[in-house]
Amino acid sequence: MTVPIQLRHDETFVLNLGPQHPATHGVLRVKLTMDGEYIVKAEPVLGYVHRMHEKMAEGGTFVQFMPNTARMDYLHALAYNHGYALVVEKAAGIEVPERAEYIRVITVELNRIASHLLWWAAFLLDLGGFTPLLYAFDDREKIIDLLERITGSRLTYSYMRFGGVCNDIDDEFITGTRDFIKRLRGRLPRLYHDLVTHNIILIKRIKDIGFITAEQCRRYGATGPVARGSGINYDIRKNEPYSVYPEFDFDVPVFEECDSMARYMVRLQEIEQSMRIIEQALDKLPDGPIMGKAPKMLKPEAGYYYSAVETARGSLGHRLVCDGGKNPYKLKLRSPTFSNLSLYGEVAEGMLLADALAFMGSLDLVIPEIDR
Amino acid sequence: MGTENVPTSIVQFAQLDTLLNLGRANSLWPMTFGLACCAIEMMCTGGSRYDISRFGAEVFRPSPRQSDVMIVAGTINKKLELAVKTLYDQMSEPKWVIAMGNCAISGGPFKVKCNYNVVEGADKLFPVDVYIPGCPPRPEALLEGIMTLEEKITGKRRWPRVHAG
Amino acid sequence: MEIQEQTRIALAELFPAITTVDAPPVVEGGSQDEAPPRAPGVLVTDFAGCGSHLDVLCRPDQVVDVARIMDGQGFFLEAVSGVDWIDRHQLEVIYDYNRLGGDHCRVMVRTCLPRTEPVVPTISGVFPAADWHERETFDFYGIQFQGHPNPIRILLPEDADFHPLLKDFMP
Repeated sequence: MTVPIQLRHDETFVLNLGPQHPATHGVLRVKLTMDGEYIVKAEPVLGYVHRMHEKMAEGGTFVQFMPNTARMDYLHALAYNHGYALVVEKAAGIEVPERAEYIRVITVELNRIASHLLWWAAFLLDLGGFTPLLYAFDDREKIIDLLERITGSRLTYSYMRFGGVCNDIDDEFITGTRDFIKRLRGRLPRLYHDLVTHNIILIKRIKDIGFITAEQCRRYGATGPVARGSGINYDIRKNEPYSVYPEFDFDVPVFEECDSMARYMVRLQEIEQSMRIIEQALDKLPDGPIMGKAPKMLKPEAGYYYSAVETARGSLGHRLVCDGGKNPYKLKLRSPTFSNLSLYGEVAEGMLLADALAFMGSLDLVIPEIDR
Repeated sequence: MGTENVPTSIVQFAQLDTLLNLGRANSLWPMTFGLACCAIEMMCTGGSRYDISRFGAEVFRPSPRQSDVMIVAGTINKKLELAVKTLYDQMSEPKWVIAMGNCAISGGPFKVKCNYNVVEGADKLFPVDVYIPGCPPRPEALLEGIMTLEEKITGKRRWPRVHAG
Repeated sequence: MEIQEQTRIALAELFPAITTVDAPPVVEGGSQDEAPPRAPGVLVTDFAGCGSHLDVLCRPDQVVDVARIMDGQGFFLEAVSGVDWIDRHQLEVIYDYNRLGGDHCRVMVRTCLPRTEPVVPTISGVFPAADWHERETFDFYGIQFQGHPNPIRILLPEDADFHPLLKDFMP
């Protein structure tokens, strides 16, 4: 940990961490006012990949928006499908059969593991470690193969429908998932923890870097692993359960240290917990239909509806305002990374540039989700 | 964007050009320009399963001065288009552009009636050599795109095209 | 739901003339326009049906007081959205509040503004999260947040001269 120095505000220069940068995880621009290597003021500039999702939602029917949901956060696209399906099912009063709920949970948790693996790979790439990317992508390809079998896509899934899912899972998927979990459980201690987590270089780079207090999380609305790394025990799957999550026995990893190492450990332990959920879901998977009764043209009753799901990045909210027509009157997408990034300006003040980048990596940013 | 008359080299070689083009085609250094979802498939192509390193292209350079090919992977915005054009202009000749994904080809799923912010295709800004359709295209499609670009540079295809049936 | 009751009582103090009532029965096939306009007040709503525990309709000048009460009760600001009711010539701002852990309670606070002059005080003094959310709402709808420290666009280019999510905007 570096000794804090007195920042001189009269001898500063502006460094543009431009929209094109290997470490900004997409097109994020940060205007850094620097005093030497220390950051005096950090100002994220957004909007470089704003793709008009909310306007497109108003312009089409409810089901026409489903492919858009995957393009927002493409790393955990199934959770975005799920959140949108939940809010419309709430508005229209559509019941989802049990088998569909279990399939939703299994696929969302598999996708969560894939998202955390990619975060891990990209985070270490930012810090300068190139090899973990290859290990993580190897495991991620196994997950993508499994999900491709049943959804048809590798990355941007439009798998869920209002009332269930569009394709059933088969025995090969179930045995493939069980084999994958066994394989990943064997690899996690060696390749992920021994090689990287206990690596002195990583520890020196992210321990005691980027302190976010619990009060800052509350004031800025940060949720997900960012909040859980600061001691806040808030996981929508436990606090506000939806779907069939109450049936599963899993823990929510919470760390009190508030630094980047804590957020790192939260995500790696979430991989473990997701594997537990998937195993229990596969054991308890019931038979039955995979789609409930849903009208061909949805016209939910007028009103204000909200749904929240826990994605790999935090609490994703959909605020839906219906007016009785066949298009959503207004769909507000509350993206978790938008709130997580808003505390960057306050926390990065006084940090060294390299530490600020490590801190940005630990926030797990996906810029198209911020810009929508 | 008007067209410029880029002068061809004053001095032209015959066999040496073939050799130079072979060298350029087999070591295309892409610029990391992942904007959105297609960037992830580009990263997967760099992984060990779809190994872009076999084609000499695993050296993703962050700086446009050091790269040969700009793989536009993702949606271009009105806010970003100046930055993209600047990056293209900064690349030194010979340079190529691969438009990866539907958004870079034509605006993709965001080419709608209420489009106020998306530039409908990278070729509105600069000339594109290879178009790879898909949303996102599979890593194999990106590899096929790289091989098509190699064919464009050298005139010969690295591997014969596999036909079904 | 202790927190829900506590918050409801604290908020109801802002609306002294009206006592809280249960949610009005849903009119068959009715749209928002046909129901009688709601008076400012606190409604207890069905969480499973609509996703919020409390539905608060307040006047634009009461927004900061509501935010202070929510801050005092330990809520956090989850989202700020705008809605363009072009038929009623109104712009609506919806604030969503939630709790991080402990008792669970979601509160939706709504306020209606005239469409031609949408001005509402900023709550970024109470919740710094509102800084970016309000910039986004201004960007999309043109709603002016008085007292905002940095009232510039956030998602569209800085020199854009339109507000895209207004219903009469078509490029």
